[in-house]
Amino acid sequence: MLTICRKALWDQRRTLPAWASGIVLSIVLEAAMWPSVASMSSLDAYLTEFPDALKEMFSIEEMSTGTGFLNAELFSLMLPVLFIIFGILRGAHMIAGEEEAGTLDLLLVTPLSTTRLLLGEGLALAAGVTALGAATVVGTLAGSALFDLEIPVASALAGATACTLLGLVHGAIALTAGAVLGRRGPAIGVATGAALAAYVLYVGGLFVEGLSDAQVLSPFHQALQEGPLADAFPASFLTLLVVPLALVGVVLPVWARRDIGAHR
Amino acid sequence: MGTEDPAVRTRGLSKRFGKNVALSRLDLTVAPGTICGFLGPNGAGKTTAIKLLAGLYRPSAGTVEVFGRDVTRARDTVQASIGYLPGDFTGYADQTGRRFLRLVADLRGGVDETFVAELAQRLELDLDRRIGTLSRGNRQKVGIVQAFMNRAPLLLLDEPTSGLDPLMQREFRRLLVEARDRGQTVLLSSHVLSEVAEVADDVAILREGRLLDLRSMAELRSGVTRRVDLSFGDHVPAARIRQVPGVRNLSVHGLTAQVDLAGPVGELLGAVLPDGLVDVRTHETGLADVFLGYYTKERTDAHDLPQSPVGPAPDPARLG
Repeated sequence: MLTICRKALWDQRRTLPAWASGIVLSIVLEAAMWPSVASMSSLDAYLTEFPDALKEMFSIEEMSTGTGFLNAELFSLMLPVLFIIFGILRGAHMIAGEEEAGTLDLLLVTPLSTTRLLLGEGLALAAGVTALGAATVVGTLAGSALFDLEIPVASALAGATACTLLGLVHGAIALTAGAVLGRRGPAIGVATGAALAAYVLYVGGLFVEGLSDAQVLSPFHQALQEGPLADAFPASFLTLLVVPLALVGVVLPVWARRDIGAHR
Repeated sequence: MGTEDPAVRTRGLSKRFGKNVALSRLDLTVAPGTICGFLGPNGAGKTTAIKLLAGLYRPSAGTVEVFGRDVTRARDTVQASIGYLPGDFTGYADQTGRRFLRLVADLRGGVDETFVAELAQRLELDLDRRIGTLSRGNRQKVGIVQAFMNRAPLLLLDEPTSGLDPLMQREFRRLLVEARDRGQTVLLSSHVLSEVAEVADDVAILREGRLLDLRSMAELRSGVTRRVDLSFGDHVPAARIRQVPGVRNLSVHGLTAQVDLAGPVGELLGAVLPDGLVDVRTHETGLADVFLGYYTKERTDAHDLPQSPVGPAPDPARLG
């Protein structure tokens, strides 16, 4: 299992540092804008003009603080989307990508079981998004320190964790869909569809009265509701941890009985 | 895993993909320590059979056992005893051969490094180049090394020599014979007759998902007729030639006699030597004809092989 995890991390040896530095850079650049935004005299008046749903979605009423500014500009949409894209691409590559390339056969015709292969790949996926989460913490704290955003360490951790969990959930969907379907394209499709559905549910819940009850089902809601740069870790983070584990548990028997490489 | 268990035994093994029947009721037994060749045209079911043996596919019906263990039920145990070369081996383009072999070795719980080095040296393979930069033949060598390096009890090799130059094919056949002599069992597929004929002890012939025939190479060879041209100095001893067992279809053109001969050529030569034999040419097209017969649609009866009345056939040719 660890051999597979190491191998999957080695596969990310170039993409992961590139993504991580891109994330650090974009957070720091965004933070660099804060001093000029903070000095806008009419900022508060301008912000009150937004519709309520938008205010809630982007935490706009708090935008006059450094935390609120980064929430609105990065943590409410852009960073989660980056994490989700990363998770989906890696997750789909890990089993479905190997299968399409014809290399999965070689990993499996060894004492390695399908279960340990899936767990090893899942571990590498978790490690990858966690590394991006760590980069997010670093970027947030560095940007905050450089440009006086006064973001507490706990908030930086909570915000990064929210992004990490979103990446993990959707990466796990792509990974497990790939394990069941055996093809990368459909795996990406399923996970992207799930992400869009979750986002629509989340945003719809803010705008549409009737959807607000269903909103709690959306991973976006579970990840972002408290901040995302929140004072503490919301309990809904636990749900986001359970989802990937449950997905792996559900697909394991299907994946173990499937013909490998039959689609090629 | 008793010693009396065959290396491979399938009973009624079938595989369907939707409506498409890839393999139909295959009954195959391969004795330990032998080389069995899977022969058949493209799409005959060779790869499907190998993937079922490797535990990558699950049978639609029937059973498949490796060393007495059911592949479906004890998949990981069985897979631990297999060295596998897929028909479309690619490896990881961004890994060096060395890194790739280490990965596979780690998954199999270690490897004899000196044997890896020996295999690479014999196949003239540079392990420090990235697999993506290798030519097709050199990439195939990486696949061969990973299949052989653990000296697994069973080698499943799907079209192993594709892309190899003739010298490397010869070296590969030596590796096969050495593996067999160590007690390993080899099952290799090919659509090239000569490749299998030179090393295999037994041959399984497949077409359209069915096993047409399973027999020893020796048996096949003994049934083979070859054409022999005999040239003489002053006259053709036609009557004497006709009396030699195994001779058929004598025709005489000037001072040359042409016969179809089943069995060894020695007796025929001995018989005509005193008559001023000046030249002998043999055309061993018979074996190929036997296989072509299997390949063509018209001939579906597996048992109308030419059967020889003469004594034992020569041993299968072994290079090396």
